[in-house]
Amino acid sequence: MAAGGTGGKTYSFKVVLLGEGCVGKTSLVLRYCENKFNDKHITTLQASFLTKKLNITGKRVNLAIWDTAGQERFHALGPIYYRDSNGAVLVYDITDEDSFQKVKNWVKELRKMLGNDICLCIVGNKIDLDKDRHVSVEDAESYAESVGAKHYHTSAKLNKGIEELFLDLCKRMMETAQAEERLKGNGASQSASSRRGVQIVDDEPQATPAGGCCSSG
Amino acid sequence: MSQRTERRGGIHVDQSDLLCKKGCGYYGNAAWQGLCSKCWREEYQRVRQKQIQDDWALAEKLQREEEAAYASSHGPQTQPPSQSTPPHPQPGHASLGPFSKFEEKKTNEKTRKVTTVKKFFSPSSRSAPKKETQEGKTPSPSVSRRASFDTDQVSKDFVDFLKNLQKPGREIHKQCRAFIGNMSSKKDLSADELSECVQDFYQNLADRLMGHFKCSSESVEQVMDQVEKYIMTRLYKSVFCPETTDDEKKDLATQNRIRALHWVTIEMLCVSFDEEIPEVSENVVKAITDVIEMDSKRVPRDKLSCITRCSKHIFSAIRITKKEPASADDFLPALIYIVLKANPPRLQSNIQYITRFCNPSRLMTGEDGYYFTNLCCAAAFIEKLDAQSLNLSPEEFERYMSGQASPRCSGSEEDWSSPAPAPTNPVLAQLNQNLEVLSGLSGRQEALMEAAHSLQADLLSWPESVQHEVHDILKKYPLEVLPRSAPAIDDNNDVDNDNLPPPLTPQVV
Ligand SMILES: Nc1nc2c(ncn2[C@@H]2O[C@H](COP(=O)(O)OP(=O)(O)OP(=O)(O)O)[C@@H](O)[C@H]2O)c(=O)[nH]1
Ligand SMILES: [Mg+2]
Ligand SMILES: [Zn+2]
Repeated sequence: MAAGGTGGKTYSFKVVLLGEGCVGKTSLVLRYCENKFNDKHITTLQASFLTKKLNITGKRVNLAIWDTAGQERFHALGPIYYRDSNGAVLVYDITDEDSFQKVKNWVKELRKMLGNDICLCIVGNKIDLDKDRHVSVEDAESYAESVGAKHYHTSAKLNKGIEELFLDLCKRMMETAQAEERLKGNGASQSASSRRGVQIVDDEPQATPAGGCCSSG
Repeated sequence: MSQRTERRGGIHVDQSDLLCKKGCGYYGNAAWQGLCSKCWREEYQRVRQKQIQDDWALAEKLQREEEAAYASSHGPQTQPPSQSTPPHPQPGHASLGPFSKFEEKKTNEKTRKVTTVKKFFSPSSRSAPKKETQEGKTPSPSVSRRASFDTDQVSKDFVDFLKNLQKPGREIHKQCRAFIGNMSSKKDLSADELSECVQDFYQNLADRLMGHFKCSSESVEQVMDQVEKYIMTRLYKSVFCPETTDDEKKDLATQNRIRALHWVTIEMLCVSFDEEIPEVSENVVKAITDVIEMDSKRVPRDKLSCITRCSKHIFSAIRITKKEPASADDFLPALIYIVLKANPPRLQSNIQYITRFCNPSRLMTGEDGYYFTNLCCAAAFIEKLDAQSLNLSPEEFERYMSGQASPRCSGSEEDWSSPAPAPTNPVLAQLNQNLEVLSGLSGRQEALMEAAHSLQADLLSWPESVQHEVHDILKKYPLEVLPRSAPAIDDNNDVDNDNLPPPLTPQVV
């Protein structure tokens, strides 16, 4: 067992993607995780569960992005998907007023079910189609602010705003996690209550040989 | 029936043969070794109780041996691990192969075990090797011995794994042993409480490894996988589908529900499978096999792996069909379709078991967790599924559910209403066959009833005709000389009646 790690942290976050069909959820994650758009030759087997490793101010973050089935008949299954998630990316299509209405419904439901533990991002996608815009920037941004969410503009097609969106989300999730950590704080924690929350684990710095104590499995 | 009473002129079944062997007055049942349900349950409980005690005794013994093995392997002269592990306490494990598949519903388990017993009682097996016959006398332990054989292997692997960890390895071993010992005294906790215990243990152990021993997160993950495997292999029997829950009832409900939904097609679910492509249908078959296999695994993580393998086959099938990576909108309907096709055994119990006892980090953020969540969604969808979820009218849905109509995969809707030739659907064919058998049976029953009625009428009229005859004779030969012989004739009449069958009362056969 290699000892004496400096206690670097790895955060693991679960983020759910919500939004009406065809607003570009799948395009967004594929662009983010694989930098691909509408590519028929994509070798990716699936785009429903994707992960991304980030390094934010020296802290390692494992981001797991969960695509959700958007069809109306699966709506009731939402709670099963977003259970235990740290963040939600709510996508609408700026050319489609209805899809924005859907986002509002999701926000209501998420706040009701998960309270303020979850970081919400409202994302207006397809800004390359600004000439057909049907959701005004002011409306969207003021709505986001009123529900404690952040608003982003993206285009999966042009790869605009996507890095920023996920980076920002990760920072906010880290803040939430750290606040939670401080709260349960100094050893007096009830492990049972923290168990299903964020996973925070002490970590070795990269330099030490990996898997020191458990190399044979 | 274990005993038959043969008499001259064919088989005669005595009333006493049908009664419970314990003499409680209720009817016994061959499937319960001739006991009534109540006595059988008592008997079974007794055997089971003993089996559980035996198991724990064995577990404790193994643990002591493991301890010793562990200590010796850390002595100055390290022994090879294979020699330091305990030998199998029971000879003859090899002959137990056929019993290893005994991981069925509890109710099935009971009946199946009895079937084995029955087999040993039947004349043909009298010549069977003695060992086997002894095995048959106490049916349930044979299952547990196979299980403990697997458990031995897992324990051995666990010790081998921990040896590489040195000091923390010893600590982990100590903790796990203490925990399992602890759990044996908590048998009557509710499922949620059992889950809490196990989850707290995972959490505390992981915390300790990270805090005290400064393990890296990767190492902790690896250790926790092994810990889960070791602990859950041992606890599986007492915490999978425990009697304190209605898991078993839900399993049956789901199974019946899926059976009732056999008519749901790919088109209704909007699944992107083109099963005409051989590679696609191959993947579909593999996916079905994988999700069925889940039930045979004991460790939560192994069950999860089955779900993940199933999901990967689904992705392949979608990818081949659509030529683009599957999104959640492709995946979920496809998974629902696979679950409907597979009707996986004990689906609800397995979902509950994984939720309660799996290492939480795997379920929350890992890839396995994503597929597992989708399986939960599929199960929930199937439970709630209605006309709307399949884009059907309520009338259509009702017709399909009641079996009055069956959709054609081809989509030519007129087809089913015309007097179809031999139905292509095997379920329909079976149904037709059953209907034929039923109508044949009802015809035979009617004939039987008719015959019974005429027999009854005959019997009723017979004493009358005899009486008539007697009267006629009396009239012909008046009995003036011996007036006391009149009652004597009545007596004779009674004697005659003794040879008659008892009067039949009309009853539905
Ligand atoms: N112009 C433009 N088109 C986009 C953009 N993002 C996605 N699309 C297109 O929108 C369509 C739907 O995109 P998807 O990513 O499949 O949408 P989705 O939200 O995953 O849809 P569902 O999986 O059905 O819920 C595709 O034809 C994309 O090419 C964008 O930023 N700009
Ligand atoms: Mg999509
Ligand atoms: Zn009885």
